[in-house]
Amino acid sequence: MRHFLIMTAFAALAGIVFGTVAKDSNRDRFTYGLKVFAEFMVIGVVLAWILYFIPF
Amino acid sequence: MTTVDDKRTYIEKAPPRAWLMGIAGWLVPGLGHLLQGKWVRALLLGGAVWVCFISGFAMGGHLFKYAGAEQGLSSLLQIPPMIGDLGTGLLYIVCWFRDFGFAHDPQQAALPTFEYGWTFLLVAGLLNYLAMLDAFDIASGRKS
Repeated sequence: MRHFLIMTAFAALAGIVFGTVAKDSNRDRFTYGLKVFAEFMVIGVVLAWILYFIPF
Repeated sequence: MTTVDDKRTYIEKAPPRAWLMGIAGWLVPGLGHLLQGKWVRALLLGGAVWVCFISGFAMGGHLFKYAGAEQGLSSLLQIPPMIGDLGTGLLYIVCWFRDFGFAHDPQQAALPTFEYGWTFLLVAGLLNYLAMLDAFDIASGRKS
């Protein structure tokens, strides 16, 4: 649970910064920030499951 | 043709104020935007970097520096993460002068969050480089 929370915090911080520095309108920034957050979360969970099944 | 050349010259030359804002943003996360009156951006960018940096230490992380004490080329491996950490500006410099946060004893390394800690510290620096470039672009008129 701790690892998931840390991953969520990391994704949130990266999403905030990427969303703030990118795009032109506030709406686009918000959407992009959410997209970055979701990408970090999804990729993190997928990688975690892949590594879980690798025995070495 | 002249117009293209003029435009190219205009793009390449950034005003001194832009450099100042960039340096301010690097030295103190969020300051580059704060000085330009971009309060919300300063709060979001600076806040994210500060939270990332403090969380890194709270999780037992350590900063990197080139000490040259290791044998052979292994000491060179300290340079890339040091450049990343250096992105936090004064936060890193103050830690360096006070020799705080560079040691990693076995007890600290045994923490389950040790790896997360130094990753957060590293990412804080990298995110601040992005914030610094954003402050520079705003001051030079390339971004609104």
